[in-house]
Amino acid sequence: MKVLTKAATAGALLALMAGTSVLAQETIKIGVLVPTTGSEATYGQDMANAVTIAQAEINKAGGVLGKQLSMVVGDDACDPQQSVNAATKLVSQGVVAVVGGYCSGATLPTLKIFGDAKIPFVITAANSTKLIPANPGNAFMINSTGDDQATKAVEFLGAKGIKSIAIVNEGDAYSQDLATLTQKSWEAAGNKVVDFETVNKGEQDYSAIVTAIKAANPDAVFWTAYYADGGLLIRQLRQSGYQGVIAVGDGSNSTKLFDIAGKAAEGVFAFSNPTAEFLPAAKDFTATYNSQFGTAPGPYAPLTYDGMELIADTMAKAKSTDGAALITALKATDSPGWLAGAIKFTDKNTLARSNFIVLVGKDGAWARADQ
Amino acid sequence: MTPRDTASDRLRDRIAARFESPALRWGGIGLILVLMAVLPAALGQYATVIMTNALLYVVLALGLNVVVGFAGLLDLGYAAFFAVGAYTIGILTLDFGVNFWLALPVAVLAAAIAGVIIGGPTLRLRSDYLAIVTLGFGEIVRFSARNLAITGKASGLSGIGQPWLFGWHIATPTDFYFVFCALAILAVVVSLRLENSRLGRAWLYVRHDEDVAEAMGINRVAVKLAAYVTGAIFAAIGGAFFAANLGAISPESFSFTQSVLILMAVILGGMGKIPGVILGAFIVILGPELLRNLGELRLMVFAVMLLLIMLFRPSGIWPKRGVRS
Repeated sequence: MKVLTKAATAGALLALMAGTSVLAQETIKIGVLVPTTGSEATYGQDMANAVTIAQAEINKAGGVLGKQLSMVVGDDACDPQQSVNAATKLVSQGVVAVVGGYCSGATLPTLKIFGDAKIPFVITAANSTKLIPANPGNAFMINSTGDDQATKAVEFLGAKGIKSIAIVNEGDAYSQDLATLTQKSWEAAGNKVVDFETVNKGEQDYSAIVTAIKAANPDAVFWTAYYADGGLLIRQLRQSGYQGVIAVGDGSNSTKLFDIAGKAAEGVFAFSNPTAEFLPAAKDFTATYNSQFGTAPGPYAPLTYDGMELIADTMAKAKSTDGAALITALKATDSPGWLAGAIKFTDKNTLARSNFIVLVGKDGAWARADQ
Repeated sequence: MTPRDTASDRLRDRIAARFESPALRWGGIGLILVLMAVLPAALGQYATVIMTNALLYVVLALGLNVVVGFAGLLDLGYAAFFAVGAYTIGILTLDFGVNFWLALPVAVLAAAIAGVIIGGPTLRLRSDYLAIVTLGFGEIVRFSARNLAITGKASGLSGIGQPWLFGWHIATPTDFYFVFCALAILAVVVSLRLENSRLGRAWLYVRHDEDVAEAMGINRVAVKLAAYVTGAIFAAIGGAFFAANLGAISPESFSFTQSVLILMAVILGGMGKIPGVILGAFIVILGPELLRNLGELRLMVFAVMLLLIMLFRPSGIWPKRGVRS
């Protein structure tokens, strides 16, 4: 009996080893660099889930170049040091391409590591403009940057016939960046910024700012920071009788804005990166995600799904998994029909066309305003 | 406070006694140096990068050990000095085009000044109060870095160049590994020399009883300031090379958790004991990396391991003799 058990165990082990070695030969490894621990873990896990779905679909359809895809998750914990470790580990594990990148600060130092190893890196969430000059040429950003949001804001407000705006930010890197970028391109378009304000995070009483805005009487107010304070500001603006257009940046496109601002948020415009619920093409993806993970896909899931699909598609087109060949092929990408719209890159490897969408507050929820 | 001789302590003493003989001791040191030299070739790039990180923490932990272990001043904001070093290099090389090696002494000087700034007002404080002030200092530095235009605000600085040294471009992970090897060895030698110096004895005295030390003619103020400044210099040098290695720095690297991690290395290994502190630094860095395959569980497993260590070795894995409690 004992001998039998031993033999069986040995046999099973052998089979397992043979199995894994066969698998190791046949799969193409794709690295997924996302935070799966730490404060941003929810977003990272969401992105990893999106890659899982894409991987399963690609493999079901026969894989790429006759091989199956396998994913290797590297946890960057949204920390620059950890991300360097995780990235180096991915390189040493022989991944042919990497998808992911959530926190810009943690993504930045990995660009060089993947660049040195000539591994293409499709960045699906991190969108700081600082990533652009640090890119050695192998990274491709499929999330629009702050520049794109400012452009979208100027374009949208301009089309509404608005001539003068007030911009309010919160003094942190993200909202200040967006505020100054918008100011620049708004003025470049020949319009006027009549008021530019910076508020302190967590303030409860915005009456001073509201008075200043009312005195300047702009056609529109653009809030570039997050929903928690934005909701209060919007409510106080409307309470004071301000009638103009109010627009908010993508930090405020949460439904929680309606909890805070109440009725005042009706008719407020929000710029948003393409989330699944507002993408007609993402209907099936949303259903699959829901049934597999029991929740709705998060804000960067569609883009990350696109990222994985883009890599597989590029490998098939280039008929190769060689890094240099893939990078050349990625640069030439010009195709419509992804979940979040068309993908085509500029010479800096950022999206040629902004994929920001515009939402409007309607009955306590967001609805597409630009369709 | 009665000394307790457990079996493991006796074993350690016996092993230590073996190394009392100079031949064996030098042999051991030689072996470690050879292992350090062949590591990148033997274990590949991933191991090299992780070891580089561990060696950085050896430098930082040895620096904090001067403050906490030698002088007995609890510092919860040590990452601030690390930040000062890194940001000084970043700002000088990026905004002013200064050569890395010229910027390095400035970074050291800036950290020393920061050491005096934090040391000055805290000299009157003891234990908990001191810890709170240092914690505040750490946060002030981080928030300043987050909000000042010169430090690149929340997104930090990027594109910091890699230095040249006599025609050697320190650029690859292996290059930086050897640089950090040299820094760690330097930190160990300096720590050993400090421990046995007149200043080291003064720190020991102040740590045990400030009032008696002062009555015996030790300048309490100068001695404590010296500890802060020395610790700050270690951190600044570590930070400078850290900035050059990563090429990009952001405020997240200098959070409270960072200070705690370094403090953990010191306490885990054994406060005041140089080999213990080195061991502690390796554990806090290599531990989570070795457990990387566990995925989300890794931080929990690591935390349980740390708790077990602290339960069974309350004064550290390799504590200083005579401070066991």
